[in-house]
Amino acid sequence: MKTLIRGLALNYPVKVIATGLVVLVLLSLPLFWMRFTCETSLFFRMSNEAKGVSIAPSLLVPDELEKDPNVVSPSRASASIRYQRPMSLGFFDYFIARFPRGRCTNVYFFKSFNEWMYFDVKTGQLVHSYLEEQVMPDKTPFRKKVQLYIGPEGVSETADKTLGRFIDPLIDHNWSAVTQRQSRELILFDKKLRCFFKIDFNQRTTTKGPKIGKESPVQKPIKIGRLSKNLFLFEDHLFWTPPQIKYSGKNQSNKPIPIIPSYISYDAGPYMLVLDESGEIGLLDKESLTIAGVSGRLPAPETYFGSRSTVRPRDLLDYEVMPLFLTTYFFENPEEVKMAFGDLSYLFKRKASRVEKNYLGMFATGVSRDGSALALAVFDEKGKVIKKEYSRLPKQEGRYTTYLQSSKAFFFWAPWSPALTIGKYLAENLHPPILSVASYFTASAFEADAGHRALFFLPNSFIAMKGRERPVNFAERFFSALWLILPSIILAILLSIRVSKDAVVVGLSENTRLYWIIGTLAFGLAAYITYRLTRPKITLVTCQNCGKPRRPDMAKCHRCKSDWHVPELIPPAWRVLNGTELVHDNSPGDAEETVAE
Amino acid sequence: MFALIKREVRDHIVYFIGAAAFSAVFIIMAISILHNYDLRRQPPAFSIVLGIPALTIVIFGICAMGSTQMYLDKTRKISALLSTLATSRNRILLARVITGILAILTLLVPLIITAVILMRFFTLLIPFPMFDGVVFDISLTVFLMAFACYCIGLQSGWNSNPLTPSLGALCLTCILLPLIIVKGFGLHIVVILVLFIVASLIRTWHTFMTTSL
Repeated sequence: MKTLIRGLALNYPVKVIATGLVVLVLLSLPLFWMRFTCETSLFFRMSNEAKGVSIAPSLLVPDELEKDPNVVSPSRASASIRYQRPMSLGFFDYFIARFPRGRCTNVYFFKSFNEWMYFDVKTGQLVHSYLEEQVMPDKTPFRKKVQLYIGPEGVSETADKTLGRFIDPLIDHNWSAVTQRQSRELILFDKKLRCFFKIDFNQRTTTKGPKIGKESPVQKPIKIGRLSKNLFLFEDHLFWTPPQIKYSGKNQSNKPIPIIPSYISYDAGPYMLVLDESGEIGLLDKESLTIAGVSGRLPAPETYFGSRSTVRPRDLLDYEVMPLFLTTYFFENPEEVKMAFGDLSYLFKRKASRVEKNYLGMFATGVSRDGSALALAVFDEKGKVIKKEYSRLPKQEGRYTTYLQSSKAFFFWAPWSPALTIGKYLAENLHPPILSVASYFTASAFEADAGHRALFFLPNSFIAMKGRERPVNFAERFFSALWLILPSIILAILLSIRVSKDAVVVGLSENTRLYWIIGTLAFGLAAYITYRLTRPKITLVTCQNCGKPRRPDMAKCHRCKSDWHVPELIPPAWRVLNGTELVHDNSPGDAEETVAE
Repeated sequence: MFALIKREVRDHIVYFIGAAAFSAVFIIMAISILHNYDLRRQPPAFSIVLGIPALTIVIFGICAMGSTQMYLDKTRKISALLSTLATSRNRILLARVITGILAILTLLVPLIITAVILMRFFTLLIPFPMFDGVVFDISLTVFLMAFACYCIGLQSGWNSNPLTPSLGALCLTCILLPLIIVKGFGLHIVVILVLFIVASLIRTWHTFMTTSL
């Protein structure tokens, strides 16, 4: 075994592969930072106009409100691209994913040592601690700490096996933010049990919904409730404002006010939004816990080479969905009716006798992988897309204004951006060609966020963008992708010629030379550096036959195949004799004359 | 073998003292940071501001150790002398690598123990593991990164020119170190670093075994 390991380690190919790996890692890192710097600078230089989209009127507000004669500005849905590049780096992503509410933690929220919720994997139960407002007999309020254990079969103050086990629960990560204002009710989905559960903390009951059927539009939910990719980014990037009217009251500025009050909490009224792995968004009926229909899907932004018509959540760097519903409050007095966008019941001193919640539709945004394009779509209550807008850069051309696709403006229409784009392109072309080709084939395999910390496969490179183009003729798409890495291919060819010439000089065998040529064509600069580090370091000597340098450690000249020119050692024809010694007759014929002492 | 390791430790004792000193500094830093830490807030910025340069110095030190070991061997012909005794070059290199690992562990083991104890204290009030696996992930990554930099030192140190080992190792460490920023502390970086370490050790072994003394 020892001999085998020793033999392997001292093998020339093993040494070459080991050196190649070291070189590849060390070369990939500076290239990564070069690409990162160029891409970040491109984002900063992108015009703010190209980063945003706006739709006004928002098309979801009922006509009696939108077309009210007092309205001075219509309802508006707007979105903008958030800056998040450093957050995509592994160091930050690692901690963000492990903080409460992160994707790699079972802690759903942690407000204080008394208010938290987590999933206990060992017992398969959710554990929730909160402070409950209670009133003492002397009417002094106090807060009591309550700790509940929640399973599919019920809720209890003690961990009990009869509560059952959740296996892979999914909850609305925004739930803790709205729980103070609304009834203590939690809806969750178990990915393995494939059904929704409703937990009522006041009644301490669990209601189990039916299993998701095969005909359901949502098969693999990945997020429920607030649908946002990056909950940790404190800056929202999707806004909605209701129609505004001029305020006529006193003690106020002339600033317009909403036509009816609004409170947007990412709640869909009688429904809850459910995001499927495919990008489809379903509506979950909060009462029956069944999927009532489709509310829309995540919109695909316009990328540089044109994107596919549908996107999955993992294909988007960022997405956000905002549902809209209208609440009508009926009071005991039949003439007293109040309306609001969202749920504002906590504002009323009197309790409404009847509350009607009407789902109006939703707004959905999606940001492209490289953060250069944004799409905003409006869906009606039936899930039909009413309007879709893409981020564009307005350009004044004489008397006309033309709109340029933001992903094109990102690369070429900001100061210094052409130079930065060339820098990014060059960095991509110094990357091994074989890895660039692999990036083309694996373009959609990587999660969008992970693509920003890619070292070897480059999902955000130009060639990968081409790989994600709409599926047209495969050969045409592939060859046009190869055209994009032409500098890389040319460099690889030049380097392989250089390696081939040098390999002849240093006397590598034909097979070894062939492997080096193939290796250099595949790995480009990395292979060339590896070759320089591993080539035999032998001082060559001049061949007496061909006059070219030859290796002293080889039996034949690797150029002319001639042997070493070693003069034959011929014994001299003469020798010194003793005085009494006689010369024999059978002495060699060509021997020189014997010299007597 | 033990004698070889002992000799290596004695020759590079300054690195062990440095590792122990830095370990103590890090422990004091960790205690002082966690003493005033509020779980609901982001980690204090100064912990990152102080932590990253300190970690960088430590890793440069470990790289310098590998570089020094090989450079001194090359220039003072230590291996040539030892090879005349009842030992092999394989063993000499192995002892050197073990010494490097020991230096890294001198730095990391007290730190890991402190981190585990602090996390236990810190999460006493919470009945669930708040940052499950974080200590393990970070410790493993830092150990592998330190060892990878040590391997860079071993590779660049085998040179008679004093400038190449120091500048080469410095440059290569500067390139490799930001891998933590790029990849974080997960499985990806562990795979990359393990492959890098194996490749570096093979390269070092090959160079060490095939060069005439």
